[in-house]
This record gives sequence, C-alpha cells and structure tokens, in this order.
Amino acid sequence: MSSADSQTGISNPGTSAGGLELARHNFMQIWQVLAALALIYGFFFLMSPPFRSIDTLLSIFGQASILAILACGTTIVLISGGLDLSVGSIFAVVGVSVGIFMAEWGLPPVAAVGLGLVIGAALGALNGTIQVLTKVPAFIVTLGGLTAYKGLAEILASGRDLSRFPDGFKFLGSGNTVPMLIMFAAAILTGLFLTKTRLGSRAFAIGGNEEVARLSGVPVAKSRIYYYMLGGLLAGLAAIVEVAKLNFAMPARGQSYELYAIAAVVIGGTSLFGGRGGVGKTLLGMFIMQTIIVGLSYLGVGTSYQRIAIGAIIIVAVYWDVWRRTAR
Amino acid sequence: MTGPGADRAAKPPVLEARGISKHYGGIVALDEVGLTLNEGEVLAVVGDNGAGKSTLIKALTGAISKTTGVIRFDGTETKIDTPSDAKAAGIETVYQDLALVNEISITKNVFLGREIVRDDWLGRWFGVLDFKKMDAEIRDLFGKLDIRIADIYRDAEAFSGGQRQAVALSKTVMFGKRVAILDEPTAALGVRESKMAMDLVRSLKDHGLSVIMITHNMQHVLNYCDRVMVLRLGRLVAVRKVAEVDGDTLVGLITGAKETEGQA
Repeated sequence: MSSADSQTGISNPGTSAGGLELARHNFMQIWQVLAALALIYGFFFLMSPPFRSIDTLLSIFGQASILAILACGTTIVLISGGLDLSVGSIFAVVGVSVGIFMAEWGLPPVAAVGLGLVIGAALGALNGTIQVLTKVPAFIVTLGGLTAYKGLAEILASGRDLSRFPDGFKFLGSGNTVPMLIMFAAAILTGLFLTKTRLGSRAFAIGGNEEVARLSGVPVAKSRIYYYMLGGLLAGLAAIVEVAKLNFAMPARGQSYELYAIAAVVIGGTSLFGGRGGVGKTLLGMFIMQTIIVGLSYLGVGTSYQRIAIGAIIIVAVYWDVWRRTAR
Repeated sequence: MTGPGADRAAKPPVLEARGISKHYGGIVALDEVGLTLNEGEVLAVVGDNGAGKSTLIKALTGAISKTTGVIRFDGTETKIDTPSDAKAAGIETVYQDLALVNEISITKNVFLGREIVRDDWLGRWFGVLDFKKMDAEIRDLFGKLDIRIADIYRDAEAFSGGQRQAVALSKTVMFGKRVAILDEPTAALGVRESKMAMDLVRSLKDHGLSVIMITHNMQHVLNYCDRVMVLRLGRLVAVRKVAEVDGDTLVGLITGAKETEGQA
C-alpha cells in the first residue's frame, strides 16, 4: 500500500534502518485488516462459484468507489476528532444541484461539476463553522445538517425532471473503471494531504489531543473548518460520479451514506476517537464491506439481513478500536 | 534588601508581570500577583495545591485570559492573550500532561504548530512539509542537548516519561528565544529521570533562556534554582534568593506557618 496508510507514513529521509522500521510498523498496523479482507473474500470464493469471476471482483470495486470517495472525507474528519453525519445529505444537495445546472440551466459539464464541488465544500464548511462557533457537539450539529440539507435537496428537486445528461458528463460514471480511477485519485490526494501537508498532518494532532495542539499554537478552530470543508467537497465529488453513473439526480440518493462511510473508515482501522488512521485503511474497510454485501447477495441473503451483518461488523470494529486503545 | 530593579538597574528584567489576577466568577484564583524574571536565572514558583501556580503561568502564556494585569517583556509592555502571542514574544511553555500528542511522531510533536514547509511552490501553495529539514534540525538539537532518541518518526507514546519530558524541554531550546516556562517538569518521573530532566533544565541557561519553573520538590528548588517565589491561596507571600533560604523555611512559607513579607 502507499505511504498514505498511517500518520507515521511520512517520507523518511533519515537512516535506512528507520525506513525499514517504519515500513514494518505500517505493515503491522494494516496486516490484520488485510487478513480479514482475504478471509472474507476467500469465504465467499469457496461458498459461491459465480462469486469467483473477475467481473464480480470488478463490481465490488465499482460499487465501492462512490462510497469510498465520500469516505475519504470522512477519514479526514474522523482523524481530526470530528464527526460529520450530514455528508449523505450534502451528497443529495450536490447531486440535485448538478442535475439542475445541466438539465435546466444548460451549463456545460465542467461548470456544473465545478459549481457542485463548491456547493459541497461550502455546506461542509458551514457545518464546521457552526460547530466551532457554537461549541455544540459535532454529533448534534451535523445531525441537524443531515436533516436540513436533506430538506434543501428535496426543495431544489421538487417538480423537476433531472435526467438525461450530456455524454461528456456521463463519462465520469461510465462502467466500473472511471469511478474506480476517480476513487483512487481521490484517495491518493487525500493520503498526500494527510501525510505530507501542514494542514493535513495537524488533523492527527488535533484529533489526538486538541488542547496540546491549541497550546502548541495550532489554529484548531480554523483547521477544523477546513476538514469539514474537505469532507463536504469529497461528498460532492462522490455525488457527481453517482449522478453521472445513474444519469439522473434525485434527493433520496445518499441516504445513510454517512453511516456506511463511517463504518468503512472504522472497519479499516481509523480510530473513531481521532488521532489515528489513514485513507489506505479506509479503502480496505470499504472493500471489506462491499465484499460482504456482494458476497451475501450471491449467497441469496437479502438486503435487510445484509444491513444486520454490517451493523454487527461496525460494533465489532469499534470494539476492536476501543480494545486496542485500552491495551496500549 | 532592595527590589530586583535596583541591583540590575542597567538592564530591565526579561519578563515582568504586575497585578496579575484571575477571577472565575466570584472565585479569585489569582490575586494581584507580580513577578520578575532576570536574565539567565531559574525562578522557582512553589505553593500548595490550589495556590495559583498553574493559573499564574497560564495567564503569563496566554493559555487563559487574565482578569487584570500587565506583562512587560524586556521593559516593553507586551500583549499576551493567546499561546501564539507568548510564542511570538519568545516565551516557550511546557505544560504538565499537555506537552506532547501521543498519537504523532517525535518530529511532528517538536514542530507542531511551527512546521517547516518546503521552500518551493509545493510548500507555498499546499503547505507541503519539509521532513528532511525538520529531521535534520531535530537531530542537531538532540545532539546539542545530549538527548538520545534515534527513532524520531515513532509516535510519542512509545517513549518513556523521561524521554518525553526531554523532547518537551528541547522544544523550549528550539523555539524559546528568551523564556522557558515549565509546569512541574519532573511530576511524572522517577528519581533518575528527574535528575536528567533537571540537568537539562539547568542547561537551558546555556542556550540563552531564562526559566520559570513550577515545582513541588524543595530539593530541586535548592539545587537548581536561583530565586523562589511562594504563592498561597492565590497570593504572592514571599520571594527569596535560594541561597538565603532552607527547605524548612520554604515549607513554612508554603503552608503559612511562617508569615513573612518582603522581597529577595
């Protein structure tokens, strides 16, 4: 995996011994998740012959990609010790907006996409700003955002037929490949942001110990707003890819995506309590979740049972996170 | 006995605080406390729990907003309302239990809030960090201070209390241009580690720093400090030259068994 896997995955120009030590350390952090992924994949591989095809594997990646783009943002926010429950609704607002821009206003795809990303970033930043200013817990502020933005998406979409978009736009969602490439691009950029930049690396410090970060002169409030903004931006990007893939936009899309994203992030090994994690882990977590969902469908297990399975896995993953923290 | 201004009339004290108070609602945590820190000295702040020691240094470093008070730096009145103001003035603080973030590496801890970015468009536009430079500066610093930590990319929590304290103290040398303020630098340390930390504190002088140190350890006051100020219930009750007091006198002043005023 790339160096984006953990906060210690910084470029290490020191001794080669240090580099090896670091690589070992990184590997130790993710081998359990990799092993879990291999086990789960192996299980379905054995149980279901049709699951074994390459197409199935590609469809796992393809289906994971839209949620994974959104989950990149969730990774940043969770590492910084924040929480954004509203990204699923931001997703809906951006999807509907982009639809309006093209289907009603006739804007070219580039402009629609650009504006959509700006809207996503702005809604995320609004969450962050409200939270920083009011000091109301992130859980409550973004729960409010979840409902409010959802309402906004419904108002924007009401009475409109948002479909049949230009080919240039639909390209963004074509097949499994393009969404997958966008996912990897988003993940790599997020990883570089978290590990190589000043603002990104401070997310770990703020999530680890906000007070130490503040006393060290880190502008905690301002940084947090940026993290929420990036979360909104990535939710917007995910929405754009989905609208392109479906060739229609509606406000019901994105429902519960924030929960699936949080689940994937935590399953991958990023701490729900902040300070630790990485975007490579999030991709692994997302693949685990999608493998389970796709695998269970191949075994004839219905959607409702799949949800129960995912719920159970989230609890196990968080328990594991808590256990690791107390065992240290 | 004259005031400290008299024997150093030529040079103003590095740091001078006047009438520092902190009220929490009706509770007076700190009542009109003054303080003078001379160039190159180690000033101990002692007092029982709740005497206002931590409140005093937090007010001095902008970690809390003071109710009243004036701070002069090299004789010039200086506004210190946030931790960043204090850092800009050249004051570096090591807070008890709030020195390092466990979850990030030693490098990132030392440079937290003052990261070095690359000297190119990546650095200017995207804040891309210059790890090479930061690592080199830390190795240089640790060499200078004789701190033996090779694994500077490991998370801080992997290190012992003594090593962590050494890292925290090293930040004062790296960034503190004038003053280091230390809140119980040996609170969580064993005997051997305490001695190492205190030797490091003493060496801060050689790096041009004047030191204010909160401590509960009278032996550390007597062995490592130049002057000592005693707080009780939010009030300054005595300032003495360490050469002129003994442990019993200090304990008497701290508990209130000895009621004495006057300045050393």
